[in-house]
Amino acid sequence: MRQWAAWGCGVLPWWPAFGQGLAGDRLAVIYPEIGEPFRAVFAKILEGIDERAQQRVPRIAVAADADALALASELRRRELKVVIALGRAGLRVATALDPAIEVVAGGVISPNEADARAATLLSLAPDPLLLMQRLKSLQPGVKRVTVVYSPRHSAWLMRHAQPAARQLGLELRALEVDELKSALRQYQDFFAQAAPQDALWLPQDPLTVDESAVLPLVLQECWNRNLALFSSNLGHVRRGALFSLYPNNLELGRSLASSALAQLARQAGAPRGAQPLRDVHAALNTRTASHLGLDLSPQVQRSFELLLPER
Amino acid sequence: MSKPLLALGLLLCGLAQAQSSEEQDLALAFGDSALVSIATGSAQPLRRAPAVAAVITAADIEAMGASDLDQVLERVPGLHVGRGSGTYTPLYVARGIYSQFNPQILMLQNGVPMTTLLVGNRGNGWGGLPVQHIARIEVMLSPGSALYGSDAYAGVINIVTKGPRDLHGGEAGLRLGSFGARDAWLQQGGKLGPAEYAAFVQRGRGKGARNLVEADAQSFNDATFGSHASLAPGALNNGHDSWDANLDLALEGWRWRINYKLRELGTGAGISQALDPQGLYRTERLVSDLSWQQAALLPDLSAGFGLSALHYSQQFPRPLQIYPAGVRFPTGVFADGMFGAPETWERQWRLHAYLGYEGLAHHKLRAGLGYEDLDLYRTRELKNFAFAANGLPIPLPTITDHSDIDPFMRPQRRSVAYAYLQDDWQLAPDWTLTLGLRHDRYSDFGNTTNPRLALVWEAAYNLSAKLLYGQAFRAPAFNEQYSISNPVARGNPAIRPETLATREAQLIWQPGRHLQLSLAAFEHRLRDLIRTTPNAQPGTGTTFNNTGDQSGRGLELSGSWDPGAGLHLQLSLSQQRSRDESSGRSPGYAPRRHAYLLADWRVSEAWQLGAQLNRVAGRERPPGDVRPPVADYTNVDLSLRHAPQGARWSVAALLRNATDSDQREPSLAPGRLVNDLPLAPRSLSVELDFRY
Repeated sequence: MRQWAAWGCGVLPWWPAFGQGLAGDRLAVIYPEIGEPFRAVFAKILEGIDERAQQRVPRIAVAADADALALASELRRRELKVVIALGRAGLRVATALDPAIEVVAGGVISPNEADARAATLLSLAPDPLLLMQRLKSLQPGVKRVTVVYSPRHSAWLMRHAQPAARQLGLELRALEVDELKSALRQYQDFFAQAAPQDALWLPQDPLTVDESAVLPLVLQECWNRNLALFSSNLGHVRRGALFSLYPNNLELGRSLASSALAQLARQAGAPRGAQPLRDVHAALNTRTASHLGLDLSPQVQRSFELLLPER
Repeated sequence: MSKPLLALGLLLCGLAQAQSSEEQDLALAFGDSALVSIATGSAQPLRRAPAVAAVITAADIEAMGASDLDQVLERVPGLHVGRGSGTYTPLYVARGIYSQFNPQILMLQNGVPMTTLLVGNRGNGWGGLPVQHIARIEVMLSPGSALYGSDAYAGVINIVTKGPRDLHGGEAGLRLGSFGARDAWLQQGGKLGPAEYAAFVQRGRGKGARNLVEADAQSFNDATFGSHASLAPGALNNGHDSWDANLDLALEGWRWRINYKLRELGTGAGISQALDPQGLYRTERLVSDLSWQQAALLPDLSAGFGLSALHYSQQFPRPLQIYPAGVRFPTGVFADGMFGAPETWERQWRLHAYLGYEGLAHHKLRAGLGYEDLDLYRTRELKNFAFAANGLPIPLPTITDHSDIDPFMRPQRRSVAYAYLQDDWQLAPDWTLTLGLRHDRYSDFGNTTNPRLALVWEAAYNLSAKLLYGQAFRAPAFNEQYSISNPVARGNPAIRPETLATREAQLIWQPGRHLQLSLAAFEHRLRDLIRTTPNAQPGTGTTFNNTGDQSGRGLELSGSWDPGAGLHLQLSLSQQRSRDESSGRSPGYAPRRHAYLLADWRVSEAWQLGAQLNRVAGRERPPGDVRPPVADYTNVDLSLRHAPQGARWSVAALLRNATDSDQREPSLAPGRLVNDLPLAPRSLSVELDFRY
């Protein structure tokens, strides 16, 4: 009964085109079926995948409560070679697939889910190099970036952040903590010593960037001390962070498709493990920029896809 | 009530986690769901004017369970949607400013005025607007003349329809409801070679609630002239049949939108406040709007232009019954009833162009020019009456064409040329001063210049303060000046434009991620108000006059709160006090107190429950109307939406006026419709949506 329900919920939108694979190869996309507005994120990624693949790639929508094992078992019969797994639901199904099937994953932040299954993961976490490049272009006077992170959520990203900072001539103070209390202490220490050449980075770390305790504190202190605060979460820009990078879903879809096509063609070079997101848009809080005294020329404004707040 | 409560109980049993782990990841990247919409292109924010009072998105509309624009607008602080007697046309009563036809509010669709030249409002045959194709509604309730021109008097409502980026594939919908309501719609977005398109079509029909009207203007005539003609007590004639169609094409900086609206409407409580079970309005509106924008014409220079054409006609397949069979005047008896069909055809061309310059440090300049050719090029009137010297109607044996003899109005034409300049001046890091000045030259009313000032202080990371000043000017509509032999409302060639000056202060505070509050205080002064006043001779309708000045002040509080567990609350409270300067009394009609509460609860991933409470209170009578004040009312709407996971369809049930309370909107002084205008009783509708 449960299996029947899972099929009812999860596989009904199976496209008749399934089976008309790419030149005899087998590629499919597994993506989560969720409501708007989040559905639009995956719709755009799927559009990018189809564009790069130059055809409509067979796709399977998976409901959150779908039976992943049953779906994986059905997929085994399809002789797939590569699967693009989107979101946690997609990864859950992919994890249960035959190890011979290559998995290219996207639409999640943390690589933990992908660890169980050797996969190429394009994370939703913006590349620290791109974040710090934006920072330098907006505030060239900044010399040091501080980030408070938890190893559980962000250690993998910090491994990318340190060389990125060095490449840009910035000092990255990556402060590792295991609990919120320690994180708060680190933020307080940061503000006690902060100088105009300091900037603070908020990663997508639920442990160290608590919305109710940490965010109001850092927003207020950065405003009062005229310090640059940037974030990997677009929502923080609306709240008052100076800028953020957020996924360019169409480009992300194209990148996922490129990676999958490369694996279909058995080309080397598809890196295993998590890669930070390079397909990004940028958002700027003009109110905060103005508070920091930045002169926003039209050229600078046009380099951001989204200007907030919508005043 | 029992069924919704049962449904609620069932839902409570099946409470699930409001936000899935999937959504948590996306929320860490995109922020809240509103930002997801923006980031995925379905709700691109405009750079708003400092005076914008409210922005309502498609997601807000869906959460409300609204099917018509008027249901949505009721949530805006300071705005109440009243009703006019003929066709029950909506009156957007902003901050205490009320009039019979409501030309004081400018309604735009994608920036193009929906104004009709005859009455100056959306047209008395407006007949509402479906909301399925609306991406966003922006409302500004203060003089907008410096931005939008002279008609932006008491406020501006801009409706932005869904464009190619708002529609991911197609959507079809069907709604069945009480009183014979049937709606079906289809919309689709996609690509056509290098261009993108969005298309929408909707058909809607309904018989209307047909509430009982206890006494009408003919009841008064009967008492005055000793006849027995009134159809009251009798039912409202508020059926409708409508078509809406949109086509939106986008190619690089170019945009071409075509919009078509057809309405066939019953006459409500009657064009002259006497029940008319026969009359039928038919209005047809076609708008074509071509625009081009280039954000970087030169490094510091942006530019754009727009050209729009609007064609509007108002016709009567069945003439209006002004008074029923047997109506008697000292000039004679209309044995079959008094009929008229005042038909008009309008053509409006609008051209505007602008340049934006940001080459000066701390300044954003925008300058624009425009020209409008507003041509009510044809009038036609069928009727069975003429007028005596004292204004009383004289019966004629049959309904004949009087277009060339004594029509209600001759064709009229007006042109307007304008220029404006606006500067957003960054005085200091947290201080911005917006200065706007617009000059309009009317071919018939001469010149007018209207300034606008807005000082914005970003006081803290989560607190903004604004001080605003604006002036507006409204040139009379053609019927206010040129209506010559109209049994309902006669024009007045000596009429002067009405003006308005508003001072406003606003605080916006966001104490936390889940709570936002806004408090606004306003004070305004209206001069030379144009209103209809009853003619001295009973039975001869009204005449437009400048009725003097009005002042008003008020407070508006609005807030939104997400306390968790999928619950979203939206509150607005408004209070205003207005004074008619000639009498020293309240000008009446508008609610002095208005409260709105929306509770939108996402019970689980698949179920959404909504409740709205709307309290309208303190509607006094204007001077000269001795009736007791209009009774306050509280309206409760409930909605339930089910969108199963993995399914492409959703179903919703909407219960309006759930408590079946008696709700009335004020009729005009001195009270020919003695018991005012009744609103719809409890109604139920069921809606099915399918995405493909």
